Amino acid sequence: MPVINDMIPEFDLFQPADVDGALELLAKHDDAWVLAGGLDTFDWFKDRAKRPDVVVDLGAIDQLRGIREQGDGYEIGALTPLSDIENHEAIKAKFPMLAQAAQAVATPQVRNQGTLGGNIVQDTRCWYYRGGWPCYRAGGNICYADTPTSMNREHCIFGASRCVAVSPSDSAPALVALDAMMVVRSRSGEREVPAADFFIGPSTDITRMTVLNGRELLVAIRIPSTFAGAHQYFEKVRDRNAWDFPLVNVAAAFKRNGATIEDARVAVGAVAPYPMRLEAVEAQLRGKNADEATGKSAGELAIKGAKPLRHNGYKLPLMRNLVMRAVRDAQSAQA
Amino acid sequence: MAIFGKDYTPPDLHAKITGRAKYAEDFRADGMLFAKVLASPMPHARVRNIDASEALAMEGVEAILTADDLPDLGPLSERALTMEPLYEGEPILAVAATSELLAAEAIEKIKIDYEPLPFALDPLESLKPSGSNARVDGNTIVNERTEEGRRTVVKELRWSQDVFDEAGDHLPMGEHQDEWSYGDLEAGFAEADYVIEETLAHQSVTHHPMEPRTCMATVQNGKVILHASTQSVARTHGPAAAWSGIDGKDLVVIGEYCGGGFGSKIVGTVNMPIAALLAKKTNRPVMHRITRYEETYIGRARPGFQTWIKVGFRKDGSITALDMYIIQDNGPYGRQGDLSMGPTTASLAYQPQAMRFRGVSVLTNTPPRSAQRAPGGAQIIAMIEPMMDRAAAELGLDRLEIRRTNAPQGKAKVGPQRAEISSAFVHEMIDQAKEKLNWDELKTRSGQRNGSKVTGIGLGFSPFIGGVSGFDGLLVIKDDGKVHVHTGVGNLGTHSFSDTARVAADVLGLEWEDINVIWGNTGKHLPWTTVQAGSMTTHATTRAIHAAASDAKAKLQELAAAELGGSASSYDVSGGRVHPRGNRRGGMSLASAAQKAVARGGKFSGEELPENIHRMTTASATALAGQGLLGVAKDEYDNGGPLWSFVLGCAEIEIDVETGVLEMTNYTAITDCGTVMNPRSLAAQLHGGGIQGFGLARYQKWIYDPSWGIPFAHRFYTARPPTILDVPREMAWGAVGEPDPYTPVGAKGIGEPPIGAGQAALVSAIQDALGGKVIRKMPVMVENILNALEDRPQDTETLTAHS
Amino acid sequence: MEFIQWAQNPWGQEVPLRISWDLFWAALIVGAVFVVGHLVIRPRLLKASAKGEDSPGSAEGVPEKVVRHSMVSRVFHWVMAVAMLVLLVTGFLPQVGIQFPWVTAHWVAGLVLIASIVFHMVHASVFQSLRNIWISPGDLREFIQEMRHSMGQSVESPRKPGKYPADHKMFHHAAVLTGFAVMITGVFMMFRIDTPLFTRDPYLMSDSSWGWVYVLHGLGGVGLVFLTISHVYFAILPEKRWITMSMIFGWISRDKYLQNHDPERWQATEGAEK
Repeated sequence: MPVINDMIPEFDLFQPADVDGALELLAKHDDAWVLAGGLDTFDWFKDRAKRPDVVVDLGAIDQLRGIREQGDGYEIGALTPLSDIENHEAIKAKFPMLAQAAQAVATPQVRNQGTLGGNIVQDTRCWYYRGGWPCYRAGGNICYADTPTSMNREHCIFGASRCVAVSPSDSAPALVALDAMMVVRSRSGEREVPAADFFIGPSTDITRMTVLNGRELLVAIRIPSTFAGAHQYFEKVRDRNAWDFPLVNVAAAFKRNGATIEDARVAVGAVAPYPMRLEAVEAQLRGKNADEATGKSAGELAIKGAKPLRHNGYKLPLMRNLVMRAVRDAQSAQA
Repeated sequence: MAIFGKDYTPPDLHAKITGRAKYAEDFRADGMLFAKVLASPMPHARVRNIDASEALAMEGVEAILTADDLPDLGPLSERALTMEPLYEGEPILAVAATSELLAAEAIEKIKIDYEPLPFALDPLESLKPSGSNARVDGNTIVNERTEEGRRTVVKELRWSQDVFDEAGDHLPMGEHQDEWSYGDLEAGFAEADYVIEETLAHQSVTHHPMEPRTCMATVQNGKVILHASTQSVARTHGPAAAWSGIDGKDLVVIGEYCGGGFGSKIVGTVNMPIAALLAKKTNRPVMHRITRYEETYIGRARPGFQTWIKVGFRKDGSITALDMYIIQDNGPYGRQGDLSMGPTTASLAYQPQAMRFRGVSVLTNTPPRSAQRAPGGAQIIAMIEPMMDRAAAELGLDRLEIRRTNAPQGKAKVGPQRAEISSAFVHEMIDQAKEKLNWDELKTRSGQRNGSKVTGIGLGFSPFIGGVSGFDGLLVIKDDGKVHVHTGVGNLGTHSFSDTARVAADVLGLEWEDINVIWGNTGKHLPWTTVQAGSMTTHATTRAIHAAASDAKAKLQELAAAELGGSASSYDVSGGRVHPRGNRRGGMSLASAAQKAVARGGKFSGEELPENIHRMTTASATALAGQGLLGVAKDEYDNGGPLWSFVLGCAEIEIDVETGVLEMTNYTAITDCGTVMNPRSLAAQLHGGGIQGFGLARYQKWIYDPSWGIPFAHRFYTARPPTILDVPREMAWGAVGEPDPYTPVGAKGIGEPPIGAGQAALVSAIQDALGGKVIRKMPVMVENILNALEDRPQDTETLTAHS
Repeated sequence: MEFIQWAQNPWGQEVPLRISWDLFWAALIVGAVFVVGHLVIRPRLLKASAKGEDSPGSAEGVPEKVVRHSMVSRVFHWVMAVAMLVLLVTGFLPQVGIQFPWVTAHWVAGLVLIASIVFHMVHASVFQSLRNIWISPGDLREFIQEMRHSMGQSVESPRKPGKYPADHKMFHHAAVLTGFAVMITGVFMMFRIDTPLFTRDPYLMSDSSWGWVYVLHGLGGVGLVFLTISHVYFAILPEKRWITMSMIFGWISRDKYLQNHDPERWQATEGAEK
């Protein structure tokens, strides 16, 4: 619905030098918009679909950047560019699926500009919602993507509640599978939220995708050593190799004892409004041999209860097979 | 030829690489205003009232332009602005303000009262008894022959419900409005040993040139100077004047650089009047920048096809009969030629013994269509080529051989008139391909499994028009001894604007450094030139410049004879001199010949001009008269019939059978395009066109919400044109290089056919990797492949458009 | 304060979206004002009704426990009450910032409400006298008279009521009106969401029709907020507690019966439970 597009409305730009300054601004301005790499933001602004009066640019806050060893794990500043994660030797060695997930994002240019935090908290890419349609997620009373005539190839097969949009992030499933903790700071202090609880579905809040309220910031991501060096798998299926959001992606980590899976984490993206951890699959995998047969039954279990929409039935076999491949890969990589 | 056909540095290259090249958007002028348009939010509506008072009251808002300010060019003519928008995004009005932001904010303050009208997105839906008309007066567009001549009319066409009920999952085929045929179709099918038929669909696709159709206009001493993004230049002037209602003598069009058009900016763009007229209205420079988002709706698109095709083969693979029915998604405005070019291309590509085409062009409330690289040809080739492969498999024939069996060769015939084309060296092309591809080894890789990946090999044979003739050449040899070639073609990135001028160097025996190409500005005395489209530039312009250079050469010889004695034929021209044959140091330099030509006047300096040249050339030559020795002539060389070029593409791919993910490993394109004019540029055409074809085959489509008539593919990431990360790891090319016998330098145009070759080769390779499973709808996306592999029904229906 | 939220549909046309959530706060405030207002005049009302107690009717033939609500009626009432509270909580809390997955609970409670009310309608029209609850012009006259009497105006106290006094009937009528508004619109709104009951079709009506459906639902909802506040308030007032208790145990005492009801208008029957 054009009328006019591609013209960013005016706003007051604040560039705080530290996190406290940013939090103060967020507390002061109710509709303040947090800007990191801008790849989610400027699309919204250009389409004039989101028009905040105040934008808080985190770009000048150096303390939000960097990958640090912390305890027996790592802490990654929320503003760390994806390309830094993709190329970080220790991350590649210990948490390869996170490096792969970062590398699967968009294009090299986008990864230089885009941040991990931004990739995590980015808004959904539902084309109705992004097109400025007044849907539930935009505060309206309808989901345009789930009507008898909707075009919903890229929408969800799990977790719908009125809204059928999906989480588009590549890094989010990897972080869920790594038991990462999201470090959230507000003026009243800092809290750690497990990645799996950080993302919320429309049944809880149809206008937000994470627990962050407007006065909080995601400042860092802590990755525990739980799966450091363990066998990991990431795969993303998309249409183009450049700048395409996942049709489905899968992230998995396995602790093995010989051929036996002792513990596993499996998370799938772009099938639900949040990165979906497959706990039933994980439970089933424990104690099993990592092989194709185990993978197949894991895949079947993964899609149990899925509800495809009119145009996204393909996501069922795709998700099933990606989960199967993740498990099978754990076999092939055994020494 | 010493120069023509070799790699060189085109005169625009440094400017492009260093960023000094100025495209329309790069111009700035003091006091410049910015224009923005207000676009219709509805797919079809009538504007009942516009209230712009609040916008116009804003400080810095200088003018508003509505459809009332534009000339009325008849009901079927698209205009820059409209009061009856026929697609979502069609501009209603434009505002000029001191900043772009202000213009946008002013537009948001304008209140428009719309009356929504019924709309149609899908041609088949529109033909149903309950269907809607895309235009108030009808839903189809027909070329009619009447006593007064041909005219294009809108008609209402509905098919009975029975047509749809009986069709099942085949294409419903009710009353058609277009038809041609030749040969005995029934006998052809009766004679066939194998008959294959298919219902197939091809999407509509936006052109997506890198440079959007931005315009900037200034007014100087009453003249409007328009910086446009246009494929042609000489031929943009007339339409720009007509569309904006500005007298041609008061308009200068400048377009030295154009960031691509692919057929979407052939004679400029219909939005040119917005900047031009706002500049005139305000007497200030006006920039009308077009954004990517806007480009996706006011830019053009290739028409989609809903098609039924039936082909009969003999045991040896030769085609006895070809029958096709095409429903064309015409968009809302002028009738699109794809509908007839598709079957015409097929008639040449497959040389069927008998053929019939029936069709209907249905109006839809979707963005306006225009020719897009191999219009009609690419769609049809991409549909039939996979059928050829299945026939080859069925008949136990080699896939290259079945193409050779049916290939056009030499003076092959085309279309219902069975016209003889000028030349085809397709057998040579197939031979070269066979060798270059190592075909006998390559084809054994078809279907090979490597883990979860399976290899597919596909071929795409794509002919398309590659020339036109009868235009004028104009050059001046000035007293600096340089040859100034005036050319009316545009510069849309193919280098043909300067490649074609290299003919002059060869004819006049000069170095390339002695040639100065003057292009891109209708104020610089351009000759009447072909539109830069349909791959016609190379052929038409090498011929026209050859004619002008030959004219100059003859004049030089005549001048030398007159000045120095002897007969004209005893003189030759080379090394910067007109000299007695065998004595390259004798005679006189071109610089002094130019002075003498000016002194003598008459035809030598352009005071007398040939009768047969176009009035545009006459005007330009008259303006140049007296500046030196003029070469000016119309191309009257024999053309040998319609001119066609050919490309054979071969794609090797791997499909992961568990995910449907496709990777291209290899793509090779071999061409018959006559004499190679510029090898580097040819490679870019073959590969670039191929890559664009991959986009048609795999990614690019519109997705429309059917209830609201609004599309979603507004940005690159949703429209998905292929990027450098999507091209095969290896790409190769080759050319037969046989000159077309009817054209002086033997070069044929090669812009069009590479796209169909790339698209068809990839679609065929997908079918090959799937073991012959048919995917009936383009583009073939990941889910289509996966669904086919999983034997699941496809998630969208074949015959539902824009889904 | 705006009463209705508006939005632009994909064609840029203005359509109603729903009521403004400010109206929820307004309903709370009106409820609070009503409660406070009633507390202010309560002493007078108590005084007036105390006078009424001076003249109890004849106890002859009146059982010790007079049945006021049958078991079935009581079960209905409490099922409905629970459903209503769930509906109000799930309907309004998320809109004022308390986020939880509320949709399923809301429509399930809605269906329970509808089922209980359908049952009540059938049951009441078969087993109970509609006249008991139907408000008549006479009821209104008596109500006004009673109010004037209570407020100390020299008006005679009206005749005692039958089973339900006029204010109860008025409450019931208001609840019927708002209840039907939310229930009928609510059933339609189930087409907007995914339930096992209907095929989702958000295009069942035009978007502006839908908007008015949402507005009506919202108005009914805030109406019920007010009615619930007033209802609960009266239910916990000490002087009304005998009525509340009767909704739990089913009977009222002979004294209360004779003090508050006119046996001619409501004939007492013996309580089932002893």
